[in-house]
Amino acid sequence: MSRLTRREMLGHAARGAALVGMGGVTAYLTVKAHDTYAWEIDPNKCINSQLGALGVEICDACATDCVLPLSAVRAVNHYPECGRCYICPAYFEIKSAVGPDGLPSEKLCPRDAIERKAIGWIDPDDPANNFYEYVIDESLCNGCGRCVMACKEPAGLGSIRLEVRHDVCLDCNRCSISTACPEDAYERREPAA
Amino acid sequence: MRRAIHVSLVVALLLAFGLSAAAQDPADYQRPVDVAPTDEVIGEGYVTPEVQRPRSLAPWRQVLDMALLGGALLLAAWIVLKRRSRRLAFALTVVCLAYFGFYREGCICPIGSIQNVAVALADPNHAVPYFVIGIFMLPLLAALFFGRVFCGGVCALGAIQELVLLKPIQVPPRLDRALGSLKWLYLVAAVALAVLPAAGRDFIICRFDPFVGFFRFTGPVHMMLIGGAFLLLGLFVGRPYCRYLCPYGALLSLTSRLSWRGVSITPDRELDCGLCNKACPYGAIEEMRAVRTSCLACARCYESCPVHLSCRGADAEAAS
Repeated sequence: MSRLTRREMLGHAARGAALVGMGGVTAYLTVKAHDTYAWEIDPNKCINSQLGALGVEICDACATDCVLPLSAVRAVNHYPECGRCYICPAYFEIKSAVGPDGLPSEKLCPRDAIERKAIGWIDPDDPANNFYEYVIDESLCNGCGRCVMACKEPAGLGSIRLEVRHDVCLDCNRCSISTACPEDAYERREPAA
Repeated sequence: MRRAIHVSLVVALLLAFGLSAAAQDPADYQRPVDVAPTDEVIGEGYVTPEVQRPRSLAPWRQVLDMALLGGALLLAAWIVLKRRSRRLAFALTVVCLAYFGFYREGCICPIGSIQNVAVALADPNHAVPYFVIGIFMLPLLAALFFGRVFCGGVCALGAIQELVLLKPIQVPPRLDRALGSLKWLYLVAAVALAVLPAAGRDFIICRFDPFVGFFRFTGPVHMMLIGGAFLLLGLFVGRPYCRYLCPYGALLSLTSRLSWRGVSITPDRELDCGLCNKACPYGAIEEMRAVRTSCLACARCYESCPVHLSCRGADAEAAS
């Protein structure tokens, strides 16, 4: 092995120092990175699902402010809490004119992401006396919150909530929805199991 | 005639009245049920479906990304420093552009991670995932050993500019140096904005990323226009974003100053032809030696060398 020149020696020393420095930064970050925090929406703070917040404008910050083309937030229907209503205020625009079938003629969802399915056999003479299942298509929903607002008390049972899709959320340090959220409903915490 | 108009007006009024009566006021809406029906109430063997849950964070994908980044860096180092092949380097660039750029939509990239890392270092309540630490550190580590191989072979932002560089012109060295200092200002601004208290933070690197809009086929109009302008400029000026603005390029030029190996041009004494000098679109060859801090490891100089083969490998290195 040839002897090192002074220049090479200095080079090795500098590289070693840089490695130690980078290692230190990495170690510090790694110790901190131990947590698996992610952005979550507190449904009790979100103005669209918060009980008691009535007659307020729908907040669609989740749909408009996410950096992703399709927002990382989407509405989720918690089926066990769903009333399975005949005229679901989250599915129908209940202010729209009633059509010949006795149902409101317009849907509430601007992206037509909710599907309405009758459960079991429908009595043609009394279709109201039946349960209906409402399924939100995740690939269409952009989390605008209209159905969430419409479903909450007193009109509905409040089974629809806005939730973050952790698999697509980029986990931005300054989440642009959380910046826009008027109610500070966005928190970084351990995602619910 | 007048009578007919009158009648039709009345009819229209009546119709409008009827329609508005049919439209319900939301206050009139009565909730049909008070409690959610259970499976038994619904009957007919109905089973409540599973509530949609967010899918998991897919850790395998992050591990895969990190492994691919590390692998691509090593491959780039081998191609450029050992094989000295422009063709392979170009192929690697295209593959990385396709994967890290268009498939992974340019996120997460080491350039933007500067600010995330800065926040995690400065703010006790913030942390970045392991994955981000890896993405941030791997190219710096590679630069410490092999020079800026990340820029030349792996970076998607660099690759898209590499593809459009058709008629490279030489930027006057003095102007080149002056513009090159902009990236340091950008780095300082980015770190300064990242370590502010949470409300004032601004992730400018990602917000003003000129090419991410192309990777995602969507983006703010002004950023698409700026990106387009960069690409147009990039037809003649080699990689304007990388050389003059990229804050990660600033970090890489710092660590590559200490690099163990790097692109080294070792011409025979008789053949100081300087063709490589002309071939370098990045002004990274001074007096026929590659300047490690600004060399983007694209291997164009080797391609232009008439004695490419004799220039190659360990003997040439030893001869210098």
